[in-house]
Amino acid sequence: MIRVEHLSKKFGEHVVLKDVNAEIKKGEVIVIIGPSGTGKSVFMRCLNLLETPTTGKIYIDDVDILDKNTDVSKLRQKMGMVFQSFNLFAHLTVLENLTIGPVKLLGKSKADAEKKAIELLKMVGLAEKSRNFPDELSGGQKQRVAIARCLSMESDIILFDEPTSALDPTMVSEVLAVIRRLAKEGMTMAIVTHEMEIARNIASRVFYMDEGLIYEEGPPEQIFENPQKEKTKAFINRVRSFRYHIATPDYDLYAMNAEIEAFCEKHVLPKKVRHNVLLLLEELLAMINPANNWSEIDICLAYSEKYDSLMLTIESGGEEFNPLQESDLADDIGSIIVNSLGEKLEYERVDGKNIVSLIVKR
Amino acid sequence: MDINKTKSGNTTTVALKGRLDTVTSAQLSDELAAIWEALAGNLIFDFAALDYISSAGLRVILMAQKKINSLGLEMEITGVSDTVKEVFDITGFSEILKITC
Repeated sequence: MIRVEHLSKKFGEHVVLKDVNAEIKKGEVIVIIGPSGTGKSVFMRCLNLLETPTTGKIYIDDVDILDKNTDVSKLRQKMGMVFQSFNLFAHLTVLENLTIGPVKLLGKSKADAEKKAIELLKMVGLAEKSRNFPDELSGGQKQRVAIARCLSMESDIILFDEPTSALDPTMVSEVLAVIRRLAKEGMTMAIVTHEMEIARNIASRVFYMDEGLIYEEGPPEQIFENPQKEKTKAFINRVRSFRYHIATPDYDLYAMNAEIEAFCEKHVLPKKVRHNVLLLLEELLAMINPANNWSEIDICLAYSEKYDSLMLTIESGGEEFNPLQESDLADDIGSIIVNSLGEKLEYERVDGKNIVSLIVKR
Repeated sequence: MDINKTKSGNTTTVALKGRLDTVTSAQLSDELAAIWEALAGNLIFDFAALDYISSAGLRVILMAQKKINSLGLEMEITGVSDTVKEVFDITGFSEILKITC
């Protein structure tokens, strides 16, 4: 359906895309992941010429869209786009947002367009909102309307540019449910996202973008379980782990806790595990850093999908000190909690750092 | 953490809402210091709205139990959630304190 050859894009002297080569076949769901600033959205926007490539070729159904004789508007009708910021027409009702395109561009009658629009709104669970205006909807509802709008234009492929990034976590699942349904029904899709769940569970292939090109691509099992290249490995490791640096004794415990809760929620970890992580961390930090002997601390919480377990590692400086065996505290209440809620507790001294690690019990 | 004190007859009830941890345990400690001066009867801790307790919180509760014992009075902890009860159980505090869920 889409073939990209040696695509490059520069903004002035800044090279965003160096040499992108890709193919998206009918029925595929391509999910594009990678660190921020690596050109994922720019690549997506080049596909429907919202950005003009600097060099290279893009073929839609074997038609070169960069050829000056190509009817780009006609080709663009084949491609729907769902944006991070929804981009619904604010002055039109939900129903009108879905009918304006089919009536004006596809030549449908208003009655036919409205009938189809209602079916699509039912499919995304929003038929009762047909007479509402976009600003009366939640973020998740707006995005579902945006998806229905693409479907009303009978697009062959839908491009999604970070469709859930502007949504709060409670709304993400309703949009993912619609995307999942479209994938099941065989819709060809290309999705730029930071939601690894989309890449893991919905993608037929994953493109990891870095260094201005598709650095590595493959099925989700390869990218997530067995990445071949170094930067892919480093990225996958980072998204699966939470890191926090504590620089002073006056650190904000609650700010750190909020970030840990967000990480646990992202990995759909049970409430009990979240509670135990926070309690283990509070007790270990008190054991590792008694008030009279402060040193900076690095925390790493890494979730292993393979072993379905959470590993907590705390690195601290200062003199050699094993808090699992020695204690400057007045009692062993904290130690009892740590030994009850954690397993495989280990201590080692590496390069002048005290490293304590454990697995959080479920 | 929110601390709400009420009195019924000679019994003082201290209801906690939120977390009893390294940050908030000093707040409870200060509150109890004022309570001891005016305490005429038994003490009830209402933990119905307490989501979390750590060793820092347990120490303050333990000190409260010791103080109550020295005054010849009784202390009870009510409305304990499963999560908080588990912390009491694993630390052995369930054996020392009078706890109702």
